[in-house]
Amino acid sequence: MDYLSSNKILIVDLETGATSEEELDDDLVSKRIGGAGITSSLYETYKDSDPVILGAGLLTGTLFPASALSVISAKSPRTGYLTHSPFTLKAGMELKYTGFDYVVIRGKSQKPVFLWLHDGIADVQDASELWGKDVWDTTDHIRKTMGDDLIQTLVIGPAGEEGSDLAQVCVNYWANGDCWQFGKVFGSKNLKAVALRGMGLLEISDAEGFVDQCFEIFQAIKGSALSGKRGVEDILIAMGESDAREWLAPVTHRHSACYNTPYPTNTFLYLSVDPATLTEPPEPEPGFMITDIGALLALKKLGLSAADAGHVLKACARRGVDPAAVAEIAGKAGQKDPKAIEQSLASMQGAATVPEGAKFSSWAPAQPIFGDFGISGEAALKDWWVRRQAVAYLFGIHPIFANMSPELSEEALLEMANKGAGLELSQEALDQAIADVCS
Amino acid sequence: MDFYHSYATINQKLARGVELRYGEKEASVLPRAPRLLRVPRIGVYAGTGTSHSWLWFVELFDRMSFYEVVFMTEGMVRGGALDGLDVFAMSGGDTTRIAEGLGPDGGRAIESFIRGGGLYIGSCAGAYLPLKSSKQHLDRFNFVDIKIANLSKTRPEAKRMGSKASTSYGCDFVYHPVREDVLLRMTGREPFSRFESFRAPLYGGPSMVPSGACDVLAYYDGFTEKTLFLVDESLARQTLIGKVAAARAALGDGRLYLFGPHFEHPLFPTANHLVATAIFWDMRKGRQSGGFSAPQAILEGPEKEKLVRDLKREISNSRIVTVGLEAIPVQWILGCKTYEPEKIRVFLEAIWKRIRVLERSRTICVQQETCEEAVAMASRVTQLLRRMKAGIDDLLDTQDIAWDLFDSLRGLTTLFLQMYFDSLGARFRLDS
Repeated sequence: MDYLSSNKILIVDLETGATSEEELDDDLVSKRIGGAGITSSLYETYKDSDPVILGAGLLTGTLFPASALSVISAKSPRTGYLTHSPFTLKAGMELKYTGFDYVVIRGKSQKPVFLWLHDGIADVQDASELWGKDVWDTTDHIRKTMGDDLIQTLVIGPAGEEGSDLAQVCVNYWANGDCWQFGKVFGSKNLKAVALRGMGLLEISDAEGFVDQCFEIFQAIKGSALSGKRGVEDILIAMGESDAREWLAPVTHRHSACYNTPYPTNTFLYLSVDPATLTEPPEPEPGFMITDIGALLALKKLGLSAADAGHVLKACARRGVDPAAVAEIAGKAGQKDPKAIEQSLASMQGAATVPEGAKFSSWAPAQPIFGDFGISGEAALKDWWVRRQAVAYLFGIHPIFANMSPELSEEALLEMANKGAGLELSQEALDQAIADVCS
Repeated sequence: MDFYHSYATINQKLARGVELRYGEKEASVLPRAPRLLRVPRIGVYAGTGTSHSWLWFVELFDRMSFYEVVFMTEGMVRGGALDGLDVFAMSGGDTTRIAEGLGPDGGRAIESFIRGGGLYIGSCAGAYLPLKSSKQHLDRFNFVDIKIANLSKTRPEAKRMGSKASTSYGCDFVYHPVREDVLLRMTGREPFSRFESFRAPLYGGPSMVPSGACDVLAYYDGFTEKTLFLVDESLARQTLIGKVAAARAALGDGRLYLFGPHFEHPLFPTANHLVATAIFWDMRKGRQSGGFSAPQAILEGPEKEKLVRDLKREISNSRIVTVGLEAIPVQWILGCKTYEPEKIRVFLEAIWKRIRVLERSRTICVQQETCEEAVAMASRVTQLLRRMKAGIDDLLDTQDIAWDLFDSLRGLTTLFLQMYFDSLGARFRLDS
């Protein structure tokens, strides 16, 4: 692959610490497109060694709107089959710029390690100093010792190390949609983290046409139904929580978007400082960034204040547990005391409900948000959601934003992928790739 | 006209043993002369006191396929390494530190090299170095009877960039009236006979007034929309306009080209062309072409792959830290020069862009002990950068680390570039 790609698949054997590289074949891209399509194919090749596979979408890290997504694919301890988890913020984009489009992590290390991917180099590094640290301290430690605050991390906390069924792979400091217990998988491999940083460049086949058309799509999105909306509060309102703005208002500080995503899907809450404070806060980040809308909503439904929900979510993120699962388990147990929920995290048992046969994370709300996709009926909605997520996971589109913006149609995605990658992908090829990844 | 391509063609043909004459056929970019061309052997000074601008010579030589290049320290100069060279290039930095580093023995070695027919090319600090001076350390380099025009008994008031606007020079002050692009007017003297005017960047280089015999090649003629005035414009005009920007002087059988502006700067093709012309025109005469470097070990296969990967790992680690540093408003004063984080990346990028060439190359020309030294030094640069970043984050003074870092960067870059130029030079010779 000459375009939109580093043309490299990295194979890491944790057993030996050895790494090797393969080229990304054009035929594979033509058949499976990218992202979860290709991680699924690589999973079949390497499944004997219980691999965790990281993969960037075909458009990930480009100027295409919302091209923020990469995926983690592995056999989920929760389901027993291959599933896919999203990672966004700046980490999805960063994977592609490390010089590897796909990373197959095989086997189990004898001792704790972390994987440092940078500029086409893969280093398996000792993580004994990191083992035992929570998610936040791990990310801080990696950034401090490697000397760069822009390093992106996929990281587990104590929950993953201990093999908890609630363990989640977090992104930097935050929850990011791993509802498949991949944190437990990382822990079982003695893999504390994957650190990502790259300063490479992507070649584009028709660079001028690609950039011009990205701009046109951005313009179309700007004037669409999401115009004037922002943050988690408007998403919650679109999901029927009409009081979400008032509920969040006492602690809302700012909103934040993932890489090149035209809507800020994340909202910062100030938990220990008045969010109206205009001066620099005494501590670097006196709050928490909401990235998991489902978990926040579940805690709201338990009757928690937004501040209390923020404290619970922060505790989940530091320990590296799936906040949606925690909210569901606490709800079933009738637990509504935020302090008690926080204190029970270390011993909490159980797992989140997963729809039968699900392959994609329920992190993206199961409905259109703002945009009108012309869907009616429950069955059609379910089919639409699965297909929409599959498309997002193939091309590398932010999976929540994918549900907001009909402007990012399959036709537009195919056209831009062909323009950018110099391929001739057809609707039939896309249909087949979707069928393959959903099967 | 693509000067880089023209000179690269000349150098590659010469390396393959093709006979070329000045001004004829493939060598028509050069003035006519009834002589045979040969590959020049060039020393680039990268020793104590130099800043990052010697890397501009590297860029020029690489683009024009001058591959018989040696990167030199003060020890090499003192130790006789100039004897095998045709050209010695000295770029910018702290002139006094350069002179101090070279010492009287270094001064004698350079003088002997030039008197013996060698060509000295100096820009900025490299142009100040051989000018008349009674100042300690510099007094051993009085090779040319040219005075500095940008010298004052009192320190002129700086309009901006105070730390770069002037520096003490014995009891006087050398001041730098402007930075960035200036207009130069050619005098038409050979070998610079084909242009009337062109631009070149001035970063503290001298404005010169000849008092003895020398060829004036170019005068400062005006300012441009990019010129940045560090002192009052009228003083800048008085100091520069009509004064000598480029001169050619004789010493014994050799020649010195002195450029106030950085003619070797990679964004100025006409000025680069003049540097290449000067090299071919006045390189030491009378030598025969022949093998240049001492026989080097050839690294190939897994050993070569490992060396490239080990270097790439560390340079990547260093670049990543450096990009983070560039977001921090910090600078270090080393000697009389101000260094910003951006200068760190100039060294790292000089290596990074060439690692890919070595990655694709089947072999690398390098001794085993040099490989180990280069990888160890690259690792040390990474560690120093990480310590520096942590220190800055913790609001600590990082001045000592900066001294160490820039010395290590210079050493690492020198080692790497030597293996790069040796490898490419060997490849062209092997192709013949």
